[in-house]
Amino acid sequence: MDDAAPLSADRRDVLLGAALLGGALAIGYRPGAALAADAATPELTPWLLISPDDTVTLRLPCPEFGNGAMTQQAQAVVEELACDWAKVKIEFASTNRDLVNFGVYSPVPAAAAFFGGRSTISFRTIALQQVGAQARERLKTAAAAQWSVPVTEITAADSVLTHAPTGRTLRYGEVAAKAATVSLTSQPVIKRPNQWTFLGKVPVGKVNNAEIVTGQLQYGIDVRVPGMVYAALLQSPVHGGRLKSYDAKAVMGMPGVLAVVTVDPDEARGVAAMSAAPLGYAMTAPRAAVAVIADHSWQARKALDVLPVEWEDGHGAQWKSTQQLYDHAIKALDSDDNVRIEKLTGDVSNIAKASKVVEGIYLTPWCEQAPLEPLNGTALVTAEKVEVWHPAQNSQQGHWVASDESGMSPDRVFFHQTYVGGAFGRRLESDDVRMVVAVAKRFMGRPVHLIWSREEMTRQGKYRPMVAAKLTASLDETTGLPTAIIARQAARGHYPRFADTAYFMGPIPNVRVDARELPSVHVTPGPYRGPGYNSYVFMQETFIDECAVAAGIDPLEYRLKLLANFPNPGWTKSLNAAAKGAGWGRKLPKGMGQGIAIGAWGLNGSPKAGTCVATVATVEVSKKGVIKVHQLDVAFDCGRVMNRDSVANLIEGGSMFGLNMAMNEEMTVENGRMVEGNFDTYPMLRMADCPKINVYFEGLSDTDKYAEMGEPPVAPVGPAVGNAIFSATGKRLRRTPFRTQDVSWS
Amino acid sequence: MALTFKINGQTHEVDADPTTPLLWILRDHLGFTGTKFGCGIAQCGACTVHLDGTAARSCQVAASDAAGLEITTIEGLSPDGSHPLQKAWVDLNVPQCGYCQAGMIMAAAAMLKATPKPTDADIDTYVDNLCRCGTYQRIRAAIHQAAGQAPAAPKKAKA
Repeated sequence: MDDAAPLSADRRDVLLGAALLGGALAIGYRPGAALAADAATPELTPWLLISPDDTVTLRLPCPEFGNGAMTQQAQAVVEELACDWAKVKIEFASTNRDLVNFGVYSPVPAAAAFFGGRSTISFRTIALQQVGAQARERLKTAAAAQWSVPVTEITAADSVLTHAPTGRTLRYGEVAAKAATVSLTSQPVIKRPNQWTFLGKVPVGKVNNAEIVTGQLQYGIDVRVPGMVYAALLQSPVHGGRLKSYDAKAVMGMPGVLAVVTVDPDEARGVAAMSAAPLGYAMTAPRAAVAVIADHSWQARKALDVLPVEWEDGHGAQWKSTQQLYDHAIKALDSDDNVRIEKLTGDVSNIAKASKVVEGIYLTPWCEQAPLEPLNGTALVTAEKVEVWHPAQNSQQGHWVASDESGMSPDRVFFHQTYVGGAFGRRLESDDVRMVVAVAKRFMGRPVHLIWSREEMTRQGKYRPMVAAKLTASLDETTGLPTAIIARQAARGHYPRFADTAYFMGPIPNVRVDARELPSVHVTPGPYRGPGYNSYVFMQETFIDECAVAAGIDPLEYRLKLLANFPNPGWTKSLNAAAKGAGWGRKLPKGMGQGIAIGAWGLNGSPKAGTCVATVATVEVSKKGVIKVHQLDVAFDCGRVMNRDSVANLIEGGSMFGLNMAMNEEMTVENGRMVEGNFDTYPMLRMADCPKINVYFEGLSDTDKYAEMGEPPVAPVGPAVGNAIFSATGKRLRRTPFRTQDVSWS
Repeated sequence: MALTFKINGQTHEVDADPTTPLLWILRDHLGFTGTKFGCGIAQCGACTVHLDGTAARSCQVAASDAAGLEITTIEGLSPDGSHPLQKAWVDLNVPQCGYCQAGMIMAAAAMLKATPKPTDADIDTYVDNLCRCGTYQRIRAAIHQAAGQAPAAPKKAKA
């Protein structure tokens, strides 16, 4: 998931060498037995087939869950292949084949990054260009042989090979079979970004749009396998609890019911074989569960609803209310027991003695990712193999988890990636894969299609963790800027990114960031869209606003002053572009206000890495306290973009995601159980709530990176809206969600 | 019990519990998987189909109530993806994950039949399905485009 620094020219060459010699792209590679190719459409490489009708089939490792990754990967191949974009079809690369054919789809050792993660990361683009370039050169070589002319006289464009001196042409499909037998003597040189003519130059829509709008795209929940049965799931309502008893006899006579099975978290699991699960297994631990298997999903659901079940709640039941948990976290901020220092620069010991000190306590609650496709999956477990059809966020992780849960040797696991109806981190760790296989292994020989109800999914989440923080800063008497800051945090399952902001990389000279875990909290944490980042930017950017107010300086000007000497100009460019678009500083009627915020995803300690996003919110608050967000103006710097419209779409959507998080989202706890179960109690913004969202490209710095775009827009929205609410009402919101707080004014 | 459904102009016989929601008849019994399960309580609209031309959330329609009605699913909205909404959706590159979009298009198609030139307020009211990817701005634009309306003027803050 993390960004990587742009590769130097030298590094590119190393990677190309590795791809050539060590991996699947090796010239002369012959397909293994795993996937027999159609005789008329031999594989050019395991990544690429060309049919007689010129259809180009690409097998791509990085899954698609709404971010445009499949389109992006295909664009990189087509940049070099020079085929007709309309003739490209895409499939998912096989993790099994990657395993048995020695990393055939992961030519860089960091295989995890190939079957998940970001589609624009440098090594992926290079490898995909290489796939396209190899195929193009082999097609040209085959045509040259057919015409008995030098290969240097042949050009390739729009799926046609042309011998310029004689004007002869051949379609790709006419020579593809011959090209598959061609061995190249050297690795073709790929284009540098400044030579690209397709990537970033020719606008393309998402490759799956036509299938989406006709209902044809197959998500995990749409998988239909012959002989398939359906299962419904119920897990311990208190996370960490155990199944005490259940009475299968009570439902076995119901229509269609085939079996009642259980999942025991305490049973021994795993395979002896070495594991290459990219994310490990610790976060995939199963929960105690009971499942009903039936001929149809509605039969399974109805039987589960009346199945007598008793649970041992375990230690989580000690938490009677959400407030009790919030108080626990806030109280922990004052203790230094088991504290972990995340960043220490300069000296913060004199902070309390300063003449001007700003301090605030902030809290962000548990939030559910709530992708619209409920968790689900299909697995067939037999004595010989395990097959899984699944909407995974990282299919290689899913593959290894399926092996671990079933005990099946990983080379006998076949993981079929499907399209994904939203992920946002929920489908990354593959605890859902484990649960599907855990149920299916109790009903061997039949494919079992397991669907979580919305309520089951929401209450059995792996949430954006609840985080409490106390921020303290001393302000310079002359400039009003912070001279020192202490950031104290408490959470269970904290994602340590709090220190990852420009402010702490020089602009504030004295910094201490620390963190403490809350081990007695039982609510299970997990990744989210912008893990960690989505919490800390809210806290920091609200706090910086409070510092600006204390210093009596305009919030935009304050940030610009603070970042004046920061070595990455993208931050100030983005702030200025968003502010300009929003008409920052214009006179607004009473009850309206503007707020600004900025954050960056993927810095990883390096000022020039990652993507920063600045957002200005224009907000109206009625006297009764009803909040209406009229407009979001967003500017950003990811370096350069390859797919402008896709970037705009991700910023629009990411802004809505961030807005929902700030306005609406909060999972609460009662007697250890998660309360909210569905969209009636966990509300989502809809069409009528959608502000005008303006996206500006003027923040781009044109530096040599194509940094991530899915997660960065999420975080600055909340603090921008909160700061706008302060501007409109004078009420400072230090926690989310806003909808539960009183912002009325008179 | 045996139930007869008329779906996208074709007749289908299904042996099922008459209280089964139409959603599951479509998806599990008949394989019309373009109609999606999202919430099961008529909150999200991913399961939107047309019953006698009117948009309905099929997770809350009992099979026995749907039998005998003209049912249209996303698979039957047009023979080849040529409905003006489908074309506008592709043209404006609306989808992200795409999971909600069939329901969105079905809700919008029913609205356009009754209200061929919808206002923004009409769209707010009749296309209130849920999109977790947050593609609302493009959905609104695509509906206006399909309706032959000029792009809506940007919503201005009241300043």
